[in-house]
Amino acid sequence: MRDAKLSAAVGLPLALVAVTSLFVGCKKDQQTSDTNGFPRSQTLYLAGSQWGDPSTFNPLAESWQAAWPVGDRFNLMYEPLLAYNSLDGKVEPILGSLVSKNNDSLVVDINPAAKWSDGKPVTSDDVKFIFELGRKYKSAATGFAIEFISGINVDTVDNAGAKTERLSFLVDKKGRNNPLVILDLLQAIRIVPSHVFKDLLAKSGDNLDSVKKLKVDQNPVVSGPYTLNTYSNEKIVLERRDDYWGNAALHEGKLPAPKFIIHPIYKSNDHFAIALQKGDLDASQTFIPRIWMKKKDNVSTWMEKAPYFVPGALPMFIINCTRAPLNDKAFRRAMAAAINYGDIKELAVSGYSPDIQPGLIMPSGIESKYFNADEAKKNGVGYNLEAAKKMLADAGYKSVYKADGTLDYMTDKAGKKLPTLFIKSPAGWSDWEAMVTIAVKGLRTAGIDVREGFVDAGLYWPAKPSGDFDVLMDKPAASITPSLPWSRFEAVMSSRNWAPVGGDNKMNENQGRYNSPKAKEYNPKVDSLLKAIPLTNDEAALKAAYGELNNIFMQDQPAIPLVNLPEQFYEFSTTVWTNWPSEKNAYAPAQLPWVSAGTKTLWQLKLAD
Amino acid sequence: MKLLRNLLKSPMFVIGMSLFFGTLLFALLAPLFYNVTLDRVGEQYMSSGSGYILGTDHLGRDYVSLLIKGLRSSLYVGFVAGIIATTVGTLIGIYGGFKGGLIDDMLNMVTNLFIVIPQFVVLVLISSSMQEGRSLTLIGLIIGCTGWTWSARSVRAQASALRSRDHIALARMNGDNTLAVLIKHVLPYLLSYVFMIFIMQIASGILSESAISMIGLGPLDTQSLGIILNDAKANGALGDGVWWAFIPSTLLITVIVFALYLINTSMEGVFNPRLRRE
Amino acid sequence: MLKQYPTARFILQRGGWYFLTFLVAVTINFFLPRLGDNNPVDIIMGKAGSGLSTEAAKEKEEAYLKEFKLVKLNDAGEIVRDDVGKPVRASSFEQFVNYVKMSFSGDLGTSFQKYPKKVLDVILEAVPWTIALQLPTIAFGWIVGNLLGALAAYRRGLFDRFFFPGALFLSAIPFFVFGMLLVYVFAVILGWFPAMGGYASDIIPSFSFSFFGSVAYHYVLPFFSIFLILAGGQAIGMRSMGIYELGTDYIKYAKWLGLKEGRILMYLFRNAMLPQLTGLALSLGTMIGGALITEMIFSYPGLGMAMLTAIQNNDYPMIQGVTLIITVCVLIANFTVDILIGFLDPRVKAGLQMGGN
Repeated sequence: MRDAKLSAAVGLPLALVAVTSLFVGCKKDQQTSDTNGFPRSQTLYLAGSQWGDPSTFNPLAESWQAAWPVGDRFNLMYEPLLAYNSLDGKVEPILGSLVSKNNDSLVVDINPAAKWSDGKPVTSDDVKFIFELGRKYKSAATGFAIEFISGINVDTVDNAGAKTERLSFLVDKKGRNNPLVILDLLQAIRIVPSHVFKDLLAKSGDNLDSVKKLKVDQNPVVSGPYTLNTYSNEKIVLERRDDYWGNAALHEGKLPAPKFIIHPIYKSNDHFAIALQKGDLDASQTFIPRIWMKKKDNVSTWMEKAPYFVPGALPMFIINCTRAPLNDKAFRRAMAAAINYGDIKELAVSGYSPDIQPGLIMPSGIESKYFNADEAKKNGVGYNLEAAKKMLADAGYKSVYKADGTLDYMTDKAGKKLPTLFIKSPAGWSDWEAMVTIAVKGLRTAGIDVREGFVDAGLYWPAKPSGDFDVLMDKPAASITPSLPWSRFEAVMSSRNWAPVGGDNKMNENQGRYNSPKAKEYNPKVDSLLKAIPLTNDEAALKAAYGELNNIFMQDQPAIPLVNLPEQFYEFSTTVWTNWPSEKNAYAPAQLPWVSAGTKTLWQLKLAD
Repeated sequence: MKLLRNLLKSPMFVIGMSLFFGTLLFALLAPLFYNVTLDRVGEQYMSSGSGYILGTDHLGRDYVSLLIKGLRSSLYVGFVAGIIATTVGTLIGIYGGFKGGLIDDMLNMVTNLFIVIPQFVVLVLISSSMQEGRSLTLIGLIIGCTGWTWSARSVRAQASALRSRDHIALARMNGDNTLAVLIKHVLPYLLSYVFMIFIMQIASGILSESAISMIGLGPLDTQSLGIILNDAKANGALGDGVWWAFIPSTLLITVIVFALYLINTSMEGVFNPRLRRE
Repeated sequence: MLKQYPTARFILQRGGWYFLTFLVAVTINFFLPRLGDNNPVDIIMGKAGSGLSTEAAKEKEEAYLKEFKLVKLNDAGEIVRDDVGKPVRASSFEQFVNYVKMSFSGDLGTSFQKYPKKVLDVILEAVPWTIALQLPTIAFGWIVGNLLGALAAYRRGLFDRFFFPGALFLSAIPFFVFGMLLVYVFAVILGWFPAMGGYASDIIPSFSFSFFGSVAYHYVLPFFSIFLILAGGQAIGMRSMGIYELGTDYIKYAKWLGLKEGRILMYLFRNAMLPQLTGLALSLGTMIGGALITEMIFSYPGLGMAMLTAIQNNDYPMIQGVTLIITVCVLIANFTVDILIGFLDPRVKAGLQMGGN
């Protein structure tokens, strides 16, 4: 009898396993492929841009909704007109090529070879459709484009015998008057097949909202080198299009090396590192600490030693300049002097950054021509505890300590007790948490009463536009675009849409409400420089303008940059694929081959022997 | 008391108690003897050979200090949760079990409601509407307020069995009202049982706190054993073989919970002689 | 009339209470997330609003509010505005009525966060993973644990001396750390098992041997991370119950009567099993919402992760949908247990027949 029980005990659960794996096998919304699996030597595994379940592949959906590679700026399926190369700052052609750029218009030629996967050519109709969608439909995801572009003129020119469509994007001189942002848009907005979507709109009774709800995941009409093969909640699979127009027109007839690109969706940060080390993942766009310890497992980065990554973004503390004592620039500068940037670099980001310099301009890379080391030394503050304490004392602030030596509170010039300040940061982002913790340690040592204010995402995101914070941890203008470093200054200092904190007031840049136009300390230079720089084409004038703007930033300190992180993390494994771009082999920028000018890497990858 | 003498005869009880009180004393007294500091003392993840017995964490802080602080927090949460859960569960269980009928059914419904609503919905909601966010006390409170359901069930089963006992019937015939009967006759009988439940609730509170911290919903701005584990996981300690990041805190949690389980089982043995070893 | 059918009356009475609990739970689960200050559109706008002009941002925000039915709409489908032109928010009560209406037609709404995916689709995709992860583990853990516990109760002595503290220690380990350690030792260092995922990344789910094989292979570590600790806990409980029952009069009587050992054991298990069954049913009921951490550690796209992200983003329809499923499962499990115990436990049956409750 006992044997019977035993065999029942073993057999029953096994049967259960079999039955439940049946459940797992039954999925809806799956495109079946006739290949039984994806051979490793033909597949490239990339990860780090898709975290949740893929919900839609509709190129008209909001960019944060659509799954990889349709959302954001990826150009594997749908392509933009131009691509920006963050390595040399040049604009490279994809669907179009840049002919000229001045303060009145940007002129782009459409490549006559460009074709959709259903054979139809990519035309100016397609470009006008997506760029001007906002004129007809208020809820268009690309609606903001019409604020900058007043019109698109189409001409036909004869380019070495080939009839080419020439598009002139007219700068809206009465509106935003900003050709720099238009250049941004030309490399960010992907072109969609207008014949497909006009059809869908007509069928839905001209209702864009209902068209936006379609998933567009079955045999989509694309122009890019890959198309959607299959997807599930665990991964997204792209398949190479051997009839991609760009193979002949842009890559000398070569095909991209991987036949399939698979993006696995991991639920936990350490999975990326483990997968890279085991050779199951080929490249990852995530923060992996202590990357040098993985070298023995064939994991590499752009540089072989510190800082390993190419800097591109500035995580910083945005300070609410409307609250006392943060409205006092001396207080803000004292804060900036009390933070141990060296510790942040070493401990929070594993040394992935060069030493930070004061100001909003990065001292390395394409921006370095605008960086002036002498001015930075003169106007900016670095880590200097004694100087911080002196600044506070000079400005009249006193720090009151408890009996055991720990900081209790601060008083201002009038002797009034100041409330504790909190640095709001989303809980769970480990590198940001470490930065805030280290910063708070330094600030409190200098006698500044600040504490960590880690909150859930649900409290963090709404607090940003509404200004509901003392200090906010943020990374503004994080994507590498041609409009840097202007867009970083605009995101931090612009008073264009200035609205006070309170009520329903929301600001989408300068959330710290710096430089209020109504205040008597209002510095009109900031906004006038921000307006003028996009229209300045002379290098010398640009240098002067940026220098002046940066000086104002360093003197007023509306935000405190903490460290230089890369725009995209880039670590790759050479277990299966080699010939990745790197410092020694710099044929493409330091990023995964799925956006901007980095996509060309796909044609250069080779299999490891 | 005879009870205490019996308990002391059981080796499990002695071991469990000494482990638990040993840990408690360590948590309370260690800061007097050891320099507990949360400042950076070295490099990231230095191993134990570097002069710090348990090495450093991802911010270069001494793990012994972190563990001491974490231990105190976790024990605190365990006690808060344990006290609340035991009190609520016992009261509801006794009242419902003893009275029976409509009141029992209604209290059953309340118990079921609390089982059904997931713990972290309540946790995120309440913590997001409070300015100070999630403190240790708040987490202890919520674990206690959502974890009492099984205690209520157990106590209810015991109390309803008691209803038909003779001395209870006698008390009722004497005219005592329900509350008096409950306090004078039922509660003393169940006291040992309730104490066992308290022990288990402390254990469950400590385990729950570490689980909640692992999800990322742990207390903000403090250390706890669960937070130490979460930090280890979030900073890739596992993949790099940094065993001192998670083994010591795991051991601490396991030892405390194990000690509590030992106490519980030995008490079971004493109160129920049949369970004792022959 | 029903007094003549005590069983039926018992079931109906119990069922009635459970149904009432269900209604109250659904209502609470609806209003609970809305008690907070942040509505999901604020969260979305915070994430996606940078760089937009105030006008454009306002238009986008209103489009979302309208889409998620958080504002009042007039008959023409346009937003009703107040005197200053701001959209009038739909009250929680109106949203509730809307929700009930939609649920009856089987539409649990559209997720805010995973827009435009429907809540029902998200749940249906995630549930198999959660069940696949938990069901065999719970079942196996329960069976093996109880067997071992009964064994320890029956044959005390050396086996019990070592087994008991060992099982106790095992059940004291936080299961997620155990899972992490298993991954570290067996997947990272030894490389014997995969570290994550439900099946190999290069396979598409199909009714093939290779697929099931891959699933089983990936299942080993997650299974053991929960199973061992669960079995330990069950064994301890069963051992206590077993010892308790062994000492009862009726068992002693049966022994003296000279009944065969097998027979005695059968009676023993049947009675000791009752509280264990309760535990099993409850585990199965709460299984849907559990194992969140295991899902995180092993990247199983189950219901736990879906629920966590929904709560963090105030995704009302998802929260409602997931809590609805949990409510239904837990209540059904409890109901079943109550009825089962009513039938299996002769004391309750006797109580019924005597007309009491």
